[in-house]
Amino acid sequence: MMSAGPREHLLAFADDEHLMGQGHTEWIGVAPFLEEDLAFCSIAQDELGHAAALYELVADDGGADALAFRPPADFRSCHLVELPCDDWAEALARHWLYDLAEQHRWRAMAGSTHPGVAAIVARAEREEVYHRRHAATLVGRLLTTPGEGADRLRAAIDRLLPFADALWDPVAGEAETVAVGVVTAGSAELRAPWRAEVSAALGGPVEWERLAGPRQAGRTVRSEHFAAIHDRITEVVRIDPAAHW
Amino acid sequence: MRIYEVFLKKDGKDEFRHAGSLEAPDDELAIVLARETYVRRAEGDQLWLVDRANVVTVDADFVAPNADKPHRHNDGSLVAADRRARRDLLPAPST
Repeated sequence: MMSAGPREHLLAFADDEHLMGQGHTEWIGVAPFLEEDLAFCSIAQDELGHAAALYELVADDGGADALAFRPPADFRSCHLVELPCDDWAEALARHWLYDLAEQHRWRAMAGSTHPGVAAIVARAEREEVYHRRHAATLVGRLLTTPGEGADRLRAAIDRLLPFADALWDPVAGEAETVAVGVVTAGSAELRAPWRAEVSAALGGPVEWERLAGPRQAGRTVRSEHFAAIHDRITEVVRIDPAAHW
Repeated sequence: MRIYEVFLKKDGKDEFRHAGSLEAPDDELAIVLARETYVRRAEGDQLWLVDRANVVTVDADFVAPNADKPHRHNDGSLVAADRRARRDLLPAPST
């Protein structure tokens, strides 16, 4: 059985991947054009796959599903992935901000002392190359083409920045997780290069310290949007607890 | 927007084959959009994108007149039938 700090850390990452994947799936069939429909569907599958692999790593006896469908109070997701993002500009902005951050989280696990982590990192990183290129290409093109698209996307990014920056709020026991080497860097250390990349892509400094992010209290508090998402992700198991897919 | 024609090639000796087309404003977006639209099930491991503006097209009127020349479709069946007939005329080999 994994000790509390590393377990909390891996669960928080798994929950982020789970809800991010879930968020992307909600664009299937309604994205602005066919190719984006397929892209979001594929990226969603990848993120859900990462979540499943991380849950499996932490799972005791109930397997990944017991963790994926556990009660709301036990989730450790960040509020960024709990947002509805039902506007396309917000969905794209979140995809971009989240996947830039995800890259650093995987890199901090590449040298993990936990034997199961390395295989997951290798697979995830192969998939994330496409996620980042997809997000950066669309965001880059839209932000540099003056017009409604640029305005809407920039406004969406500005709305999401406080939530994205709060993704780096650590869960309880992070010091232990770093000390035992399950990850090789804490969230404060990963936040700095992420902020630099975001600022550079936005063409100027962001006043990070003035952003008022959500109050997540070590990710133990669920946002107002969480209950609806939890209802959707647990809908099938509530109807049929023995459902298999 | 530009229209890109998409070509895929599988591993091995297969040639590039036309897979479809897509609209994109530039090469990089065309690459990103083609990846999951055309190769998400590993349908190929090489991908060509050709801006349709760069495709040389030829008028059907110029191409079509050769459609009514069946004598150019030699499948070798007449020659094969003739050889078979001559072989049948030979005496059976002695045992």
